[in-house]
Amino acid sequence: MKNNRFVAAVLIPGFLFIFVFIVFPVLYGLGISLFQYNPANSENVFLGLANYKRMLNDDVFWIALKNTIFFGTVALILNLVITLFLAEIISHLPSKRWKTFFRTVLFIPCIAPVVGTSMVWKHGFIATDGIINQVLKFFGLPAQNWYLLTWPMLVIIAVFTLWADLGYNVVLFSAGVENIPKEFEEAAALDGASAFQRFLHIKLPLMGRTFVFVAIMTMADYFQMFTQFKIFAADGGRNNAAMVLTNYIYNKSFRDFDMGYASALSMGLFVVVFTIAMIQNRLMRIDWGYE
Amino acid sequence: MKKKILSVLLCTAMIASLAVGCGGKEETTEESNSSDGKTKLTFWCHENEPWIKSYEAMAAKYEEANPEYEIEVVSYPFNVYTEKIQTALTASTAGPDIIAVWGGMAPAYIESDALAPVPEDLAEDIKADYMEPAIGVYQKEGQLYGVAMEYNLEYGGMIVNKTLFDEAGIEYPTTWEDLRKVSQEVSETDGNVSVMEGFEMMDSDSLICNYLAMILQQGGQYLTEDGSVNFATPEGVKALEEVLSMVDNGETDLENLTNGEYCFNDVYQGKGYMASVGSWGIGEGEAYDLTFGEDYEYVPVPQYGDQMAFAAETGWGIMVPKNGANVDAAWDFIKFFVDADNLVEHNIACNQLPPRKSMLTNEKYIEAMPNVTFLLDILPDGQWMGPYNTSAMREIFNNMFIDLCQQGKDSRDVEGALTTASEKITSECKMSYSME
Repeated sequence: MKNNRFVAAVLIPGFLFIFVFIVFPVLYGLGISLFQYNPANSENVFLGLANYKRMLNDDVFWIALKNTIFFGTVALILNLVITLFLAEIISHLPSKRWKTFFRTVLFIPCIAPVVGTSMVWKHGFIATDGIINQVLKFFGLPAQNWYLLTWPMLVIIAVFTLWADLGYNVVLFSAGVENIPKEFEEAAALDGASAFQRFLHIKLPLMGRTFVFVAIMTMADYFQMFTQFKIFAADGGRNNAAMVLTNYIYNKSFRDFDMGYASALSMGLFVVVFTIAMIQNRLMRIDWGYE
Repeated sequence: MKKKILSVLLCTAMIASLAVGCGGKEETTEESNSSDGKTKLTFWCHENEPWIKSYEAMAAKYEEANPEYEIEVVSYPFNVYTEKIQTALTASTAGPDIIAVWGGMAPAYIESDALAPVPEDLAEDIKADYMEPAIGVYQKEGQLYGVAMEYNLEYGGMIVNKTLFDEAGIEYPTTWEDLRKVSQEVSETDGNVSVMEGFEMMDSDSLICNYLAMILQQGGQYLTEDGSVNFATPEGVKALEEVLSMVDNGETDLENLTNGEYCFNDVYQGKGYMASVGSWGIGEGEAYDLTFGEDYEYVPVPQYGDQMAFAAETGWGIMVPKNGANVDAAWDFIKFFVDADNLVEHNIACNQLPPRKSMLTNEKYIEAMPNVTFLLDILPDGQWMGPYNTSAMREIFNNMFIDLCQQGKDSRDVEGALTTASEKITSECKMSYSME
């Protein structure tokens, strides 16, 4: 009984926090999505499901959804592959000092504000007199206005995101790799397994919990990326080629003041992220321990 | 049982959210007083150093004349300002008594019922003395809901790089033909990118403003009698073909139009000779450590057609939230602010053009702002851009223009593109309320 009280005392503040700042806003947004909502109005017109019907017939929504899923999926896979690879390489470095050095170097972009680094990339790399065009010039190729291109803008933003975000997952995967008992790998090595086989069949499965955590958190993060899209392609780029749901929601709410519709779009994004997280969770279920 | 309790809790929370989010607001008339018995008015504005200083100077002047009032100027970064205002208007008791707003943002607040209308005596004064574009967006159903502090003009003047002109031994162009000739002579390209630009007007503000002026200067019109937009007139087609030829000839490129920057920065960076911009662009040269008169100047954009005409948006203005604690006192301050003798000081301090007809010959203004006096002569020739969300209008127009630029010269259907853009603007960008 005493134990139950202790657990309740510890958990209730946390649950209250989650309810007030997460559950309540989601429900509030759900409520707003049923109205033609302007917060400054004393009365708002009830529309029922009209905002959702509009969403299903909105071409830009479908483009933004496709881009969000494409960006989230491709960037997530690349992030996991690259960070796992880097974590594995770093784990093989001979001295602790070198390990710390590389982890620190990779982590530096994570500390810098995304808005600042996005501006540096925008003006330093993809401007007409930026580094990419200087490289083209060096090879005798004509300069490009990168903003006139469609899908390459999404690729540029994905590359930037990977650069800005790799260090965090490298640190998490490094911790996972370091925690695997050395005996397993040594036994596999004695049995003649190659380094790649040992990584694929020994380390990766044993890092399952870390992998699931990193995959789900990164997925949720990437599906809600906003800052770099706002800086690189505020209006979604040419033909909305770099429009993602978060940017579209922002534009609808704070540029067009269409809060009700923006809330309906937010619910759409919520459903997408929730569904993918559930699928991920099911596919990556872990039910083992070292014991 | 547990599931039932959880369901009931969730339903209750949802209903509470709906009730709180979408219900009515209580109004209050409670006055806010500072500790020394004075009535305190809060003035909200965005962060812009010269503007804040000017607001503070105006507040101090008002406090001196009206010692029973105390005015606090509160500023916010522009990127969060809209959200701040929305939140304030939503609250049952507003934070600010007075809000400075950009004309483009105003319709979102005016279409709500959260603003106090301009008092009758001030409204009469505004309607009698303000030029049409300076009133435009603040009207709703015959009532005014805001007062402009400036005449917002994105057409008429251009920043010129004096150093580049001097080095090339070229005079500033004074006719449209000269402008195009100089522009072609000095421009250089690399691929589809300009290395040196001649005359620049390809950014989200300048393109549409120059284009509309080019239609109107030919005696054309893009606003029809039923209030819709039609660019696909002979004058509209001719003007757009002229603008397209600037890109085709390599006199300028689409970089600023696609990356959201302003053309005049190229001129300040020595990457362009001339860029069309409102007089507010003059002060930006200081950010590049350039000196007006030595490194750059501001001169008239040569007229395209036979008659001077242009369209302008409504600029920065002041509004009063209905739920403010001191609505009448707030309007008294605004009356003081927009009085010609006081407003001229604000316009000078902020490099703005005056919105009042009676200020066009104001000696104090002309003496303080000799570089923009040529604009005073053309201000009466302007018309309001129209009852449209001009941000959305620009986006549609600019996208159409970029698409045309990317098509081959021979495969373009300029008239068709203008027809489609006009229809889209009319159906998607028109304000939800009537002006009259």
